[in-house]
This record gives sequence, structure tokens and C-alpha cells, in this order.
Amino acid sequence: MNVLEIRGLVKTFTLHTIDGRTVGALHGVDLDVARGEHVALAGSSGAGKSSLLRCVYRTYVPTAGRILLRTSEGTPVDLAALPDSEVADLRGRELGYVSQFLRAEPRRAVLDVVARAGAARGMDPEAARDSAATALRRLGIDERLWAMHTTVLSGGQKQRVNLAAGTISPPRLLLLDEPVSALDPVNREAVLAMIADLTDAGVAVLSVFHDLDAIERLATRVVVLEEGRVAADGPPAAVLRDSELNLEVAR
Amino acid sequence: MSWALKVDGLGRVYGEQGPRSLPGTGPEHGTSVSPATGAVVAAWDVGFEVAPGEALGIVGESGSGKSTVMRCVAGDERPSRGSAYLSAYDDGRTDVLALDDGARRRLRIDRVAVVYQDPAAGLDLDTSAGGNIAERLTAAGGRHFGRIRERAAELLELTEVPLSRMDDPVRTFSGGMRQRVQIAKALANRPPVLLLDEPTTGLDASVAAGVLDLLRNLLERLGVAAVVVSHDFGVIEMLTRRVMVMQHGRVVETGLTDQLLEDPQHPYSQRLVAAARG
Repeated sequence: MNVLEIRGLVKTFTLHTIDGRTVGALHGVDLDVARGEHVALAGSSGAGKSSLLRCVYRTYVPTAGRILLRTSEGTPVDLAALPDSEVADLRGRELGYVSQFLRAEPRRAVLDVVARAGAARGMDPEAARDSAATALRRLGIDERLWAMHTTVLSGGQKQRVNLAAGTISPPRLLLLDEPVSALDPVNREAVLAMIADLTDAGVAVLSVFHDLDAIERLATRVVVLEEGRVAADGPPAAVLRDSELNLEVAR
Repeated sequence: MSWALKVDGLGRVYGEQGPRSLPGTGPEHGTSVSPATGAVVAAWDVGFEVAPGEALGIVGESGSGKSTVMRCVAGDERPSRGSAYLSAYDDGRTDVLALDDGARRRLRIDRVAVVYQDPAAGLDLDTSAGGNIAERLTAAGGRHFGRIRERAAELLELTEVPLSRMDDPVRTFSGGMRQRVQIAKALANRPPVLLLDEPTTGLDASVAAGVLDLLRNLLERLGVAAVVVSHDFGVIEMLTRRVMVMQHGRVVETGLTDQLLEDPQHPYSQRLVAAARG
């Protein structure tokens, strides 16, 4: 069953501060993600991968097209047209987004950031703290850092705290934008294993990774974007073999 | 009913009230001053809803009308037109903007609370911190001295004001501490709607950060519906999930807060965000 169905998605930026110039990011993208499926977006930088994730999360306002999310209540909602307050209500529980960078949570302790994310999704506060501790331990965040503010963390630590917060009480659809870009090999392994478990547990994942190794290990399907259009869509091995040359050149 | 506060078609015109004052004003004309009458259309056709536990931001430059909207909803000012409803007042059936002055003042006791930029606007500086809070509690019918003191102490603790200062006049407090007392007083009778007008503007950066953290924690915990007026995107980003952009008295854009910051749509919003982000 598809959790996400994107049809004819167009995103154009109108830059009013630069003479109203327009910049096209997505030119009619169709894409499905089923329950328990991990779809990885591939393509050169500027192909529209992050823009696509941001349109789904509604950090970007889609210009045209439909973004249907089948929520846990079973009813499909069109994220492209849904009122802001309803999108806000879906965020967290139904729709999660983990970006490359830790969103500003200044002056808040590490354990608190993760536990609050769980509480915001309806977990009992005590249970949320336990789950937060488990997630942080699994991702190799030293217990001595838990009471410290997130601002003192390294890039790689922030990234893992971010992932822990985004996956505690996992959402129905998880959007991942380069979640391992700042990690050393050991921590990268821990993160990849955790993401694999989420897919096994039925979470629908739509991701952007810049390394092909992560894609090969995690993705059940790969969608290649080229200049805002879908250029290939299929099983990882086949798609990556066929477009490997292009991806290599792009990198 | 999913909202705690609903505002419809709110307008405030200073000067001639008739329809002659509207043409030629608004963002497309670059002014809120009527060319025909000289009236100032400070706010026009402003509408929004805020759910319990949600915070809505209103941003814009000074003169955009954001504080006018706040003052009209708070009852500090009479709007020229429009209506507002509180789910906690007559189940949201009565337009509270149409109530007489006495009834409007009573709403401020326990239905709608305001935190102003200037603590002196919300506090009696010559009265003690505890006394300021007690005044709000007695207005709501509190008569038992011990219980009032107990609740005042509880509120000061909630807003992280040292209890040892409870009986000191607010005038002897620092700016940040005065703001905390103002917040304690606003929350005294557990109002379901909280209006915050530039709550950290004018405070030193480190003090402002402390007050901001306090507000963030309180909004998360208390489940109040909040409206936050600020020209500071840092404040808006931390406290609100939705936002409304005003220019020359009109709403030019509404959106999710992260969307406004990452993908502003209106030319004015794009300029504002670009200026704030550098």
C-alpha cells in the first residue's frame, strides 16, 4: 500500500528580490513510496532531490501537482493543498523530516531534545525519556553529553541527535536528507543499521544520500532525478548500474 | 470547534472611518495612509484562528499593523470593524469585540492575558512582585490570603523568579526579572489565550535568551493558544509554528514558520527574510 503518491509535482521559485526571476527546481515529478519501502533519490546536486523532500514536508510551497499522504487513519490527504495548521498537525506523528543539520534548538539539553520530540508525538513523558536514552545509546552519543546543550556538539553528534529526535516513535513517512554526511565509519554504521530497522518496522522512507554504498545497502528502490525530472526508477542494482556512469561523472 | 481564538475581518482606521479612506492604501500602493482622507488604515481585513497549544506569529516592520491587531484583540483599543471569538467565552458564540468596556476588562482577568514589551504596561512597578500577582488573583475572586500567596509563589517559581524577591517592589528588579513577573501575572488565572507583544525586545541578548527559553517551555507545557507579535525572526522561529506577515495594514502571506523562512512567497516576505538572514 502506498503511503506517499506524488503526481505531477512542479516547484518553481520566483525571486522577487532579483527582478522576479524564476528558477525551476521540479518539472512534473511522479513518485510512490509504499509502507516498509525505502526509496532513495539519486542524481547530481541541483537535480531537485532536497527540493522534493522539502515540498513533501511543506517547507517549500509546491507550485503545482499533488502530494498524497495516506495517513494512519487511512484517508489520503493532499499535502500540496492542505491548510497550514493541518500540515503542522501531521508533522511528527505522520510525517518526519531529518535534515543534514540540526534545526535550531538552542540552549536545550541533548536528552531533552530527543525526549520532547517523543512527547510531542504523544508518548508518555517518562517513556519518551527511556526511548530517547535507548536511541542515543544506540547511536553512540556518550552519556556525559546528554545533559549538555546541543550547541556544544560536533557536526556528527548533532546529526545523530537529530536522527534520534526524528525517529523516536517513528513517523509513518520519514524524509531523510543526507543523514550520515558528517559521520565517521563507526557511527555511520550505527545510523545505517537504525534506518534499516525502521524500514523493517514498516516505516515508509524517502531519502537523499550522497554515497552510493548507503543507497545500495538501504534502498528497496532508487529514483534518479535529472534537472527536476525522473530519469530512472527501479531496483537499486539495476538503476545504479545503468546510471552509474552519470552519477560518477556528477560526483 | 478547534480554535481557542478566532478573529474575522478585523480593521482599525485612525481618522475618517468611511469607505473613502480605503482606496489607495495597502501593500500594492506602498502606504497605509489614505490619499483621499489622510486617514491611517492601520489594519484591514485581518483574520486568523489559533488552536489550543498552538502559537501563531505576526511579523512585519514597525507600522505594518501587527501591534494594532494585538491591541484590538486584547481590548486595549476598539477596532473599526471585525469580530473576535473565544472558545472560553460563551462557547465562542459571542463577538467579544462588541462587548461593553466593563465586560471586555473582565475578559482580561482569566480569559485573555497580555505580555507587553514594556513590563511597566502590565505591572505596577511600586507594588511587590507578589502583590502584582495577587491583584490579578483577587480580581478573579480569590479571597483567601494564604492561598493567594501560595499561588503567587508557585507562579514566581514557574517563571524562575527567586522567591526571596517576592515582597520587593518590581521597580527594584532588572528588566529581565520584571518581564518574568509580568509573565507570572499574565498566567495567574490560567488564561486559555496569551498575547505576547515583542516580549523580549529591549532586553540584553543573554537576558532575552533566558526569557525566550522560559516562554518556549511555558507554551509547550501549558497548552495555551498564543499570538506572538515580533519583528525578530529568532523569536518567531523558536516560539511559533505558523506565521502571518503584515505590510501596510494588510496580511500579505500566511504559512508554516519554517516555510516562511525557507520559501517566502510574497515579495515583501522575501525582502524581510533576506534582511533578517543576511
